[in-house]
Amino acid sequence: MIANRRVSLLASVLLGVAGCGGGGGGDTPGPPPPPPPPPVTKAEAFQFLNQASFGATESEALGVIAMRQERWIDDQMTKPASLQLPHMLSLPPPQFMGQLHTDRVDIWFRNALWGDDQLRQRVAFALSEIMVVSQLGALQARPFAVADYYDMLAENAFGNYRDLIEKVTLHPAMGVYLSMLGNEKPNPALNIRPDENYARELMQLFSIGLVQLNIDGTVALDGNNQPIPTYNQEIIEGFAHVFTGWTWRGSPSFGSGRVPVSSQYFPMEHWPEFHDTGEKMLLNGTVLPAGQSGEQDLADALDNIFNHANVGPFVAIRLIQRLTTSNPSPGYVRRVAEVFNDNGFGVRGDLGAVVKAILLDPEASPSMAMEIDGKLKEPLLRLTQLFKAYNASSASGRYPLVGSYILFGQGPLQSPSVFNFFSPFFAPPGEIRNSNLVAPELEIATEYLSTQYTNYMFFQAFGLNHTNENLDEDDIFINFQEEMEVAADINALINMVAGKLLGGEMSDTLRTEITGMLERIPETDTAIRAAEVIYFITTSPEYAYQR
Amino acid sequence: MKTFNRRDFLRTSGAAALFAATPGLAYSQVVGGGGSFTDYRALVCVFMFGGNDSYNMLIPNTNAEYAAYAASRQNLALLQSDLLPISPASTGTPDFGLHPAMGGIQGLFQAGNAALVTNVGPLVEPTTKDQYFNQSVTLPPQLFSHNDQQDQWHSLRGNVPSKTGWAGRMADLIRNSVAGQQMATNASLSGASLFQSADETVAYVMGPNGPIQFEGFSTTPGDILNEQRLAFGRVVDAAYGSVYERGYAEVQRRAIDAADTVSAAIANAPTINTVFPQSQLGTQLRTVARLIAVRDELQMQRQVFFVGVGGFDSHDDQELNQPGLLGGVSDAITAFHAATVELSIADSVTTFTQSDFGRTLTSNGDGTDHAWAGNQLIVGGAVNGGDLYGSYPQLTIGGPEDVGGGRMIPSTSSDQYAATLARWFGIADADLDIVAPNLANFAQRDLGFMIP
Repeated sequence: MIANRRVSLLASVLLGVAGCGGGGGGDTPGPPPPPPPPPVTKAEAFQFLNQASFGATESEALGVIAMRQERWIDDQMTKPASLQLPHMLSLPPPQFMGQLHTDRVDIWFRNALWGDDQLRQRVAFALSEIMVVSQLGALQARPFAVADYYDMLAENAFGNYRDLIEKVTLHPAMGVYLSMLGNEKPNPALNIRPDENYARELMQLFSIGLVQLNIDGTVALDGNNQPIPTYNQEIIEGFAHVFTGWTWRGSPSFGSGRVPVSSQYFPMEHWPEFHDTGEKMLLNGTVLPAGQSGEQDLADALDNIFNHANVGPFVAIRLIQRLTTSNPSPGYVRRVAEVFNDNGFGVRGDLGAVVKAILLDPEASPSMAMEIDGKLKEPLLRLTQLFKAYNASSASGRYPLVGSYILFGQGPLQSPSVFNFFSPFFAPPGEIRNSNLVAPELEIATEYLSTQYTNYMFFQAFGLNHTNENLDEDDIFINFQEEMEVAADINALINMVAGKLLGGEMSDTLRTEITGMLERIPETDTAIRAAEVIYFITTSPEYAYQR
Repeated sequence: MKTFNRRDFLRTSGAAALFAATPGLAYSQVVGGGGSFTDYRALVCVFMFGGNDSYNMLIPNTNAEYAAYAASRQNLALLQSDLLPISPASTGTPDFGLHPAMGGIQGLFQAGNAALVTNVGPLVEPTTKDQYFNQSVTLPPQLFSHNDQQDQWHSLRGNVPSKTGWAGRMADLIRNSVAGQQMATNASLSGASLFQSADETVAYVMGPNGPIQFEGFSTTPGDILNEQRLAFGRVVDAAYGSVYERGYAEVQRRAIDAADTVSAAIANAPTINTVFPQSQLGTQLRTVARLIAVRDELQMQRQVFFVGVGGFDSHDDQELNQPGLLGGVSDAITAFHAATVELSIADSVTTFTQSDFGRTLTSNGDGTDHAWAGNQLIVGGAVNGGDLYGSYPQLTIGGPEDVGGGRMIPSTSSDQYAATLARWFGIADADLDIVAPNLANFAQRDLGFMIP
């Protein structure tokens, strides 16, 4: 049986344990100066950076220790977005458009690993798993659109959610992916009615979800204890009619046709003659009057969604699950949702404030760790953390891991469908399901994919490293020269790798087993010893866990 | 570490009486009875992700009905002259046609090895159009939504959120009868799915080409790579403080345990001469055929395989993509059936399709949107083939089955479809209500498309 979070939080209050691991405090003005908070430890900095970046490193941890979490966040939010499109446009024209997805994945890794806008990139990645478009499908031939979509997410990561959904809605990548591009008004004679794809998924997956939520994210129930649907088929059709009349910028015709490459990275444009001008039923009984322009209909419809009471708790849960924990308490969701509803200055939808509230919440760094705190790290984040810690690079400077989704079940904008790589509701059989918990990332930790991951780490550690003289120019290798220099001393070696990958914390079992293996490897085989430690740590359950 | 499950509860507390008192859940069924199977049977679920537009898979071929179809579907309609005619046994005349890309299925149908169940989908109870609009019957929630309707097909729990699927519950029911199996009853080549999720048993997820082995492990005593395997296993088996680490470790443990046995068995599979298409589905079905070929080595008696193919969410460019999608399914299933004939096991292997939902008869310009009922294929030597089961709706916009835009109300429920397959698989009649919880709401418990 898994301890109930509410009881334990209560216990921590009764025991007088501060509920805050270093963030959030210290901003209350008032005459009695608060005592200075205790210094941020390395372990705390690692925990925080694994939530807020593409993987903690020792040098970045020093930054967090010096600045504390809140100032680090404030500083990060001032950094401009590292972009993909300029790189993509600098490349020679490819033989096939689809080849450029390799370059798109390459620049994604460069930005994720080495961009100084780590928090922005991490939040963009989180958003890319909520407002999903994917290379797999019709966008295979539109790599510029996919790259620019990601740039748009990064540029709006700390902006306003209302602006974000408008940019998402009008982005040609989304237009192609969920078929709003080219969607036209009804033609009853031919039994043609507007495409419902975008209307449905915008509501179900990007903004409000299927059922009414309370502010704390729990499902609201009617008098018969039943969930209350947020919308019905009529409302979907209302929005489907709103989203008519949009196509590629600069398109010679409304439907398909040859369009310039630049149309992939400019918002779609409106063709009034293809827009339905009838009345449209929206959420909460709102009816758009007949005769409005397409732009007006769109603005009103997005306002209608934006102001639905579900958006705050919905966005709070989705972003909390991507950044800090799979199973937030209702209190955590409520605190974040309230910030979404009002950032303290009367502004609704301030995503920067939401991200800050998520990361600085006491539940993001609980002083008393519980069995359900934290989450499983996504495989791609396990990989980027290793790459960052061990300066992974290739002779060509490229990271052409375009097969990431095949190898790890996950890659940048490579979801199999708009439902992302895994469901926010996934609960594996056993104690997680029996306790009514979820563990979304475990959906792609199948026997097959976790073995592929484990084997990749085997090859990475033992083969794709700086001592290998037979690497191809695109092989991504890690550098463990420092480890080799201390490899004769088993404890020093283990401590060094644990320091880089686990923030210095390591279970006794893992230490014992690695020690046992290292004792079997001659101390002169320094590369093998170093690789062995990296292999064991990166494939361990504790490395896969984000506290 | 070990979670306390229902079986332990029954063993240790004498609580069996509680279950015996639960209607429809007899004690002997819950603990799985005893007695083992004397034969081998396998079900292969081909899931068409995204929602197959199956009113362009099975099309009426009589002039009046075709005309209604063409009037509804407009620019999405197939030409009548392009249809591949089929003559269902119950009428004896070519009243229907298959999509022109499905020549393989046409051949299997006419040879008596393929059947279709028509206008089938998730229901809680029989539902008419009036009842739908009056809301006087219980409906599955969130109709027309991908994941919800997928879940309803997988779980058959209708309006009740479910954590188990119907294949998972079958595996639980027979688990004591197949205790000697070297591999789980449920195996997926297409990721984790609710379909195979269960309380007592766990599905084994492998890749499209089968299981993979761990690099750097050996089982040779004294070899350092054997020590590595053992050390890795001890790390996996350690006690962990969070549910996430424990969940991950459990997957790793299952992967270690299954990889060697299954990989070794499949490596010794006999050569299969049947040529499979080089497609996502063809690859998966070829692997299934190889696993079936080594069923005796793995001591398998009952297996449910889950394979999947995507791309069916044809909101756009349907006319362009549909031939490839349906042709791909037809070619892969046809090859798979031929492989089971080659392996002399065709009478023991049944392949069937599921999909999120059918699609609107009306068009959104160049594609279709989410709907409800559709048509499904069943293929195998034990299929009462060459016929259609269930009623075929009037494909008229605003017709008696249309709730709007050409969204058909199912006239046969997914529960009936699943129960028919489950009975053939060896599930006792009394247990079919565990597999298909809403079956009791429908008159016909067996649609008759399987030879017992």
